[in-house]
Amino acid sequence: MASAYGWSRVLEQVKTWARANSPWVVHFNTGSCNGCDIEILATLTPRYDLERFGVKLKGSPRHADVLLATGPVTRQARERLLQVYAQMHEPKFVVAIGSCALSGGAFRGCYSVMNGIDQVIPVSAYIPGCPPRPEAIIDGVVKLVQSLTAPAAPATGPTPAEVPHILPPAGGPHA
Amino acid sequence: MPNLDDVLSIVTELAERWTWKMETRRPESNRIDILLTSTADLVPFVTALRVQRLGYLSTITGLDPGLEAGQLELLYHFCPGAAVITLRLKVPRDGSHVPTLSQIIPSAESAEREVGEMFGITFDDLRNPDPLYLPDDWPAGLYPLRKDFAGNGRLKPA
Amino acid sequence: MDPRLEAERFTIPIGPQHPALKEPGHFRITVEGEIVTQAVVRLGYAHRGIEKAAEARNWIRNLYLFERVCGICSHIHATAFCLGVERLAGVDVPPRAQALRVLVAELERIHSHLLWLGVAGHEAGFDTLFMYSWRDREAIMDVLEGLTGNRVNYSANVLGGVKCDVDDAQRDAILRAVDLLEKRTEHYLQVVTTDALFLQRTRGIGVMTRAQAEVLGAVGPTARASGVERDVRIEAPYAAYPSFPVRLVVDTRGDLEARVVVRMRELFECYRLVREILDHLPPGEVRGRMPRRVPEGETVSRVEAPRGELFYFIKSNGSDTPERVRVRTPTVCNMTSVVKLAVGHQLADVPMILAGIDPCFSCNDRLIEVDRSSRPAECWTWEQLRAYGVNHYHGHRS
Repeated sequence: MASAYGWSRVLEQVKTWARANSPWVVHFNTGSCNGCDIEILATLTPRYDLERFGVKLKGSPRHADVLLATGPVTRQARERLLQVYAQMHEPKFVVAIGSCALSGGAFRGCYSVMNGIDQVIPVSAYIPGCPPRPEAIIDGVVKLVQSLTAPAAPATGPTPAEVPHILPPAGGPHA
Repeated sequence: MPNLDDVLSIVTELAERWTWKMETRRPESNRIDILLTSTADLVPFVTALRVQRLGYLSTITGLDPGLEAGQLELLYHFCPGAAVITLRLKVPRDGSHVPTLSQIIPSAESAEREVGEMFGITFDDLRNPDPLYLPDDWPAGLYPLRKDFAGNGRLKPA
Repeated sequence: MDPRLEAERFTIPIGPQHPALKEPGHFRITVEGEIVTQAVVRLGYAHRGIEKAAEARNWIRNLYLFERVCGICSHIHATAFCLGVERLAGVDVPPRAQALRVLVAELERIHSHLLWLGVAGHEAGFDTLFMYSWRDREAIMDVLEGLTGNRVNYSANVLGGVKCDVDDAQRDAILRAVDLLEKRTEHYLQVVTTDALFLQRTRGIGVMTRAQAEVLGAVGPTARASGVERDVRIEAPYAAYPSFPVRLVVDTRGDLEARVVVRMRELFECYRLVREILDHLPPGEVRGRMPRRVPEGETVSRVEAPRGELFYFIKSNGSDTPERVRVRTPTVCNMTSVVKLAVGHQLADVPMILAGIDPCFSCNDRLIEVDRSSRPAECWTWEQLRAYGVNHYHGHRS
C-alpha cells in the first residue's frame, strides 16, 4: 500500500497540476482483460476521486487531451485505436497503462496482438503493473503533466507523421 | 436436477440401442464419451438427448491431432447436472461439412462459428457464418488452432 | 426524436470505446423508429489468441496466462484451470487449500457483483449508485489485497493449492468487511426495488421466460433470474463446495429487475459462505506436490464464475505443456440472449439489456451499429447511446 506520506505528496502535486491544467481524459481498451480498466474507473470513485482535481473522463476523444490506453492492441482493435488517436486535437498525449499496453504483457507473442500501444501510436508515458493500482495510475498521469513543463524525453513509438491518417466515418448526430 | 447415475445409464443405453451400437468410453467418473461414426448421426443423436432432457450444450471443442492423422475432431459437450456427455466426431482436415445444431440449439451458433474459424470446418446452414473472434483482416485459409499454424511468433508492427 | 422524421431504419455504428462498460465489442442494431428489429454481435476486439498461446507455455506459465483471461473473474479462471490439471495429474489438493480457493472465489463474486451494480446504475443514469457501490466495493478490494497481495489478478492459486493463508488478523478484517457490506447490500436491495426511476429502466423490461432462457442456453444469474435452476456450485460441486453447500438463488420474473435482485441476493449468500468457511476452515497444508509433467488424458472443469458457468476442457499429451486448452466463458452463452432480447424493445432499453447480462467482453471478447435506414451510417459512441437511454426516460424531467 502506498505510504500515507507518499500518497499525500502525490495528491498535492495532483492538485497543483490539475488547477493549472484540468486535463480531460478519454479511455480506450484495445483488448485488455479489464483489470487495468476497472482500476482506471476506480480512480473516479470516491476513494481516489480524480474529478475533484478537475480531471474529467470524457466519452468522446474529440474533447480529450489525454488518452489512457490499456490492452496489448489486438488486431481487431488496432484500427479503432488509430481512429481514436486521430480524433483527438493537439496537443494530445497518450498514456499506456498496464503491462499489456507496455509490451503485450502476458499476451506478448500471441498471433492476434500487436504487443503494445507504442507499436501503433506514439506514447508519452508508461505505467507498469498488472494492473497498476489507482495510486500508480494517478502518479503516472501526474508525472506526464509535470514533464510537459520540463524538457521531456521524446515520445516513443511511431512519430505523428508516421501514424496513418485514419479519418472517422462521416455523419453522426454529434460529428 | 438429473441424477448423475441416471444420466449415465440413459446415455449408455441410447448409444447401445442406436441403429448401430456406438462406442462409448468412460474417461472420468462423471463423463461419458460417445464416438459418432458419421456426421449423419449428429443431429438425430442430439435430438434424442434433448428428448431425454439431457440436451444442455455447454460448448463445442475442436481438436487437431496433427497433420499425420489427416482428420480433425469435434467434441460436443452436453452437461446436464454433474454429468458431461461428449459426442466425438472425426471430420476430414479439409473440406469438411458438418450440419449445424443451431436450428435446434440456438446457442450452438456461436460455438460453431468459433470452431469453424479456428479449425477451418464448415457448418452448413448457419444463419450467420461470419467469423466471431478473428479480426476482419485475417487472411483466409489460415486456421489459428490447427497445429500447423505456428502462431506464436511475433506479429510485425504495422 | 424529431416528429417530422418518418419511422425509418438507419445504422448507428458505435465505437468500441465503451466508457461505461470499459470493454470493446461491436453490435449492429437495426431500428424501425424506436423499436429494435434486429441485433447482431461482432466480437473479436478482445481476442488475444489465448488458447493457441497455451499450447506453447508450460503448465505453470499457463496458470498466469489463464488468470488474465479476465481481470474481474481472474481467480475463477485460475481455479478451473488448476482443478483440471490437478485431476489429470492425480494430485490431492489439501482440504484447507480448497476451502481457501472457495473463500477467494466468493470474495471475488462479491467484488464482481458490486462492480456490476455500479455499472448497471451508471447505465441507467444513476451515477450515485455507481459511486456508492464502488466506494463500498473498496472494502473487498482491501480484503483481497491483504489476503493475496493484489487488488486485481490476485494469483491466489498455484498448481496443487493456494499461495496464501488466513491468519487471525486477516480473518477479523474479512469478517468486518463482510459485516459492513451486508448492511450496505440491504440498503442497495431496497434502492433497486423501490427507486422509481431505476425501476422504470428495469421492471418489466427485457423479459426472458424460463423456456427462452433454456433454449437460448443462458447461464448464471441471467438464467437464474428467469427461473432456470442452474448453478454449477450446486449441480456439480467442486473444490470445497461439497463441504460448504450453496443455496440456490432464483427469481421467476425474468426481467431486468429480477436480474438485479438475483445478484443482490447472491451477495447475501456470499457473505454467509465467507463466514461459514472462516468458521470451519480445515487445518493443514495449503499446497500439495505437483509434478512438472502431467500424464496424458483429457478432463473437463466446470465452475461457477460470477457471470455463470465457466467451462474448461484440458488435454494433456504427457509433457510439461498442454496439448489443448479450451475455454468457454459465460458471457458468450448470454450474448445470444441479449441479441434475441433486444428485438422488440426500444433503442433506449438496449444499454440496460446488455448490462443486465453482466457482459465481460474480455472473457469474451464489441461497437454498436444501429441500423436505421439507407441514410449514411451515423457514428454513436456507447456514451451517446447510454445518454439516449437516460434522456428517453428521465430527460423530460430536467
